[in-house]
Amino acid sequence: MALLIAADTGGTFTDLAAYDTATRRVTFSKSLTTYGNLVDGVMDCVRKTELDLGDAEILKFGTTLVINTYVQRSGARTALVATRGFRDILELRRGNRPIPFDVRYKPDAPLVDRDLRLEVTERMGADGAAVTSLDEADVEKIAQVLRDEKVEAVAVSLLNAYVNDAHERRAVEMLRNLLPGVYVTSGTELSPEWYEYERTSTAAANAYVGPRLHTYIDRLDMAVRERGFAKKMFLMASNGGVFSVERARQQPVMLVESGPVGGCIGAGVYARELGVKKAVAFDMGGTTAKCALLDDGQFEVKSPYYVGGTTQGFPVRGGVLDIVEIGTGGGSIAYADPHGRLCVGPRSAGSTPGPACYGLGGNEPTMTDANLILGRIGRNSFLGGTMSLNVKAAEDAMARLAATVGIKGPQSLERMALGVLTLGTLAMAQAIRQITVERGLDPREFLLVAFGGGGPLHSVEIASELGIPEILIPPEPGVFAAVGMILADARIDRTQTFLRALDAEAAMAMKAMFARMEEEMRHALNADLPAAKLSFERRAEMRFRGQRHTLLTPLGEAENIAEIAGAFEASYRRRFGRFDEKAPIEFVGLSLTAFAAMGRPPLGDLCQTGQSGAIPATTTRKVYFADGGWNETEVYQRATLPRGFKASGPAVIEEFGSSTVIGPKHSFAIGEIGEIRVHLGNESERS
Amino acid sequence: MTVHASIHADLDPIEAEIIRFGLLAIPKQIEVNITRTAYSPLVYEYKDYAVGITDAEGRLVADSQGGIPLFVANALGVAVRDGLKVHGKDGIAAGDVIISNHAGTLGQHLNNVVMYTPIHAQGELVGFMAVLVHWVDIGGITIGSCAPVGTSEIYQEGIQFRSVKLMAAGRRVDDMYRMIECNTRFPVMLMGDLESQLAGCLLGRDLATALFEKYGVPKLRAAIEAMWTRSEKIARAAVAAMPDGEYRASSFLDNDGLETDKNVPIEVIVRVCGEDMTVDFSGIADQLRGSINSGREGGAVTAARIAFKYLATPHEPADEGAFRPLRVEIPDGKFLSASAEAPMAMYSTPLPTVIDTVMRAMVQAAPDRLAAGHHSNFGIHSVVGSDRRTGERFFNLTSGQGGWGASKGFDGPGPYKTMSHGDTFDVPVEVQEALYPMRVESFGLRPDSGGAGEFRGGLGTQKELLILDDCELQLNFERTQCTPWGVLGGSDGAPPSANVDVGETKGQRILKGNVAVKAGDRLHMRMSGGGGFGPARQRDAATVLRDVRQGYVSKEAARARYGVVITDQATLDASATDALRGTMT
Repeated sequence: MALLIAADTGGTFTDLAAYDTATRRVTFSKSLTTYGNLVDGVMDCVRKTELDLGDAEILKFGTTLVINTYVQRSGARTALVATRGFRDILELRRGNRPIPFDVRYKPDAPLVDRDLRLEVTERMGADGAAVTSLDEADVEKIAQVLRDEKVEAVAVSLLNAYVNDAHERRAVEMLRNLLPGVYVTSGTELSPEWYEYERTSTAAANAYVGPRLHTYIDRLDMAVRERGFAKKMFLMASNGGVFSVERARQQPVMLVESGPVGGCIGAGVYARELGVKKAVAFDMGGTTAKCALLDDGQFEVKSPYYVGGTTQGFPVRGGVLDIVEIGTGGGSIAYADPHGRLCVGPRSAGSTPGPACYGLGGNEPTMTDANLILGRIGRNSFLGGTMSLNVKAAEDAMARLAATVGIKGPQSLERMALGVLTLGTLAMAQAIRQITVERGLDPREFLLVAFGGGGPLHSVEIASELGIPEILIPPEPGVFAAVGMILADARIDRTQTFLRALDAEAAMAMKAMFARMEEEMRHALNADLPAAKLSFERRAEMRFRGQRHTLLTPLGEAENIAEIAGAFEASYRRRFGRFDEKAPIEFVGLSLTAFAAMGRPPLGDLCQTGQSGAIPATTTRKVYFADGGWNETEVYQRATLPRGFKASGPAVIEEFGSSTVIGPKHSFAIGEIGEIRVHLGNESERS
Repeated sequence: MTVHASIHADLDPIEAEIIRFGLLAIPKQIEVNITRTAYSPLVYEYKDYAVGITDAEGRLVADSQGGIPLFVANALGVAVRDGLKVHGKDGIAAGDVIISNHAGTLGQHLNNVVMYTPIHAQGELVGFMAVLVHWVDIGGITIGSCAPVGTSEIYQEGIQFRSVKLMAAGRRVDDMYRMIECNTRFPVMLMGDLESQLAGCLLGRDLATALFEKYGVPKLRAAIEAMWTRSEKIARAAVAAMPDGEYRASSFLDNDGLETDKNVPIEVIVRVCGEDMTVDFSGIADQLRGSINSGREGGAVTAARIAFKYLATPHEPADEGAFRPLRVEIPDGKFLSASAEAPMAMYSTPLPTVIDTVMRAMVQAAPDRLAAGHHSNFGIHSVVGSDRRTGERFFNLTSGQGGWGASKGFDGPGPYKTMSHGDTFDVPVEVQEALYPMRVESFGLRPDSGGAGEFRGGLGTQKELLILDDCELQLNFERTQCTPWGVLGGSDGAPPSANVDVGETKGQRILKGNVAVKAGDRLHMRMSGGGGFGPARQRDAATVLRDVRQGYVSKEAARARYGVVITDQATLDASATDALRGTMT
């Protein structure tokens, strides 16, 4: 027997999913996240499942350690080594002010204080020739300063190293020798692309979390070895693949969104299994909602990604799954702003005091309260009935809001609650528009894959707003991040600056450069997973000559000029709806993604369904819908529904950690691998 | 009023929010597309554009947030209203696309071209989708059309279009395209930008049409009225919170670029009375011979509105209602209300100073919220020329970053560009070096440049640039004499400077103008810091020590300006500090 195990450390809970390849059974467990030592929460989950780690083939971990280290500024004492004359790169940033009319706008302070930003004499020209060679005596002096300052981590990032990294490599080599025990990292190791601020910021961020992640991995390793684990461990990276421990130690910055990507990966695997090439993964939790786009079977990876948001945060490069996140979740508070406008979120009641209906002191209405008032959440079936909800408290809070914004007359409470849900829905639909319409894509061609505690609850209204015809609810939406991790492959992304006009010579050079990158990545992945089947995806950053922004163009097998130009045209037309056939095209960068397939359970095994042919037991309760008001509605328990079961709305399907709500004009079916499929009626075309 | 009330009564407050959400989302979506497809760095990095929706009379409904603040709530509607005057409502058909950069209308440099197209829904004209883009070059005497010195009439600064049709009823007017193409030095870049501007107009129009059709014209109108009413209420409440009174401030510019020994005075009076505010520019200099003039709308009204946003409603989107409490007074013939023939190539140069002077007046009214002076200097140091290998022209527009003013409880932020800029990105040094014949030898913070104070002004920057081949430097530096002011006892920020080594002549001070340079020549430039807030001797000594350790303030300045004595071991000498501070008044 062999176990595949994944554990995801989230903000509140740590979730674990384990699949036994012999019995073909899946087990879940849940523990509170232990902030003192994150490993404790993980091991608590392991203990609860009573699994023997000696049987485990693969262990995968997702962790909030990296993002929390940034948010709490609890990383290592970190220094930066920069080219003489450029130590302030981190503080000057790009000179922009994302908030236009605020005289006090100030971004978060750099991760490295100015007194630990040191300069070394050297200079590389833009053509890759050294203008001033590296002063090695200078490096030695710097090493002494860093030793005296008791620095734990060092980032080295030199100007124009993207075109020639000789100085940078040598400086790193020397510092590693001179400073044993200090974590040393470099800009071009992580991102061999131009733009000095973004590259330096990535290097600094990597150094800042390096020592913390090492400690975490060491503890985790010791804990699982103590329980008999003898195989290889992997960590979930932000690019949607898993990293070996060795790679994670080198590139901890790549684990910045380690947790949230798990669910998206799972959504992608389900969509592909069902032959769906275009899907929107939608994850709604307690404080935020996130969405990501699966197009042509792949998620986009975004670089740079701003840790802490684009207004306050700093950029890191190297690829984070392109997830758009907004502050709308179950705990989002509905309120009238000082000017009387109705707002939903981003203020959140969190888990304490939580929504008014938790009865823990929250007295402002939230999305969850609105759902409860309208019967969409059962008062006695929340979290499998383990927590009962106070309807009266929810109604009182909502009535106060209705009075404030001036909603009067019959059913004012219901209309107010529905209004709150509608505004929340609009904000979430807008996030999905951002990743579809704003990129020239028509959401009506996409499948909505909804998960997280709130995803299934709001997916029908969101799909309806966007004209999306069909929704898929995977199994265990409440712990889907861990499920997704079990399904994740290993993945590495690499991007290289390649500034050339598109001509025959460049096409040849492109081929050679891809071959070189492929070889390097093959080597790296083979070291992590010797027997794994590898696959590669080639893309290029391209643009019309004279444009600044580039378009990431999937190249497929394109090799000659016509094929490459054709690929660019297809992407450009799709994104912007037009194309200038006469304008010359150029490359700016080449990007290669390598995947190594890992063992994965058959998806059908991950879902508990009812006996085939059985007639599921139901109850009924009143649920309020936008069309038709209060409706006597069938309530199903998901685990009792057999594959192939079909019914029309209105309906509620309950399971632990989530409910799917289906309006009167829609219908649903249980699919071949246990997924819920919701089909929207025609009413979505109401324009 | 009763009419409005009845319209509003039909509109559910939730539906009003839904429509508002939809309207605000349109310019946002369009600006993403424009910045991603534009050819000119002025658009994609500098963000020199604006996107908005107006109603059928040219009143602003929704405005993009990402463009630079200079265009907030003004240029788009002004252009549309001139179009309505020129063509009449019946003269504008569905599918028409109209452009204008007319100095007599917009009152700004001719690079600013507004393009707009009518929005029709349910058979009637309901509004306009408008996009303003800074066109990279529209002729005139210098590359880029924005000559810091050298023009004395608008006619030397490029070609003008007054409300002319680029498309008529959905068909391109080819004559116009040819005319535009041969009046620019960068036809590829400009025609590319123009396509991106046009695509934005048309897509925005379609999105707006869909919204009007979905909810119906009457509901949309009611929702828009409600937005305006609400914005007005918010702005009025903000003004009402300011104490009534008449507040004055003055400042001055070094010169107009032409008469270099003559300062340009800026006198501002702000009157707050209940919910209304008047910004009175009657005391500013008359129309100037140099090119820093602007028309009434492009100059006085624009500057007053931006200042009003900073003062009253920084976080609210701009629309027609937002500026109703604001009145602008200025007689004709001032440099912010210049005639249509006045040179305006560098119209934007004085605006940050004008805006900041309005703020300076109001510091007396709201000392808890407002800041000391910011650097207010564009610090332009562009490298322009032709590539030796390809003969292609290049234009590397670069502006400087300086310190911003401190405010109560808050050190000055920055370095950023000016108050007229927003989310404007610097082009990375690595990109500049790869594309243009130059090398940046150093670029960093300028220690001791922030004005001393209980709260310190933000630091400016310093940069050294080495030229690698024949080209031209375009320089525009201001405010070397009237330095960024400190307030309530705080000191001024250090002044800016620009010095050029040309051949054997080292360190020539050249603040404005075009300089021919060759390989080996250098530019040394320094941007000012922001003003300080409150007396420097009241700054927490431990904070001064931290500033010294971080290299923001030198040990010498800590002693001389703050009265803080730091030992050779970089620790605080508390008793020497107390003694020294005791002697400071």
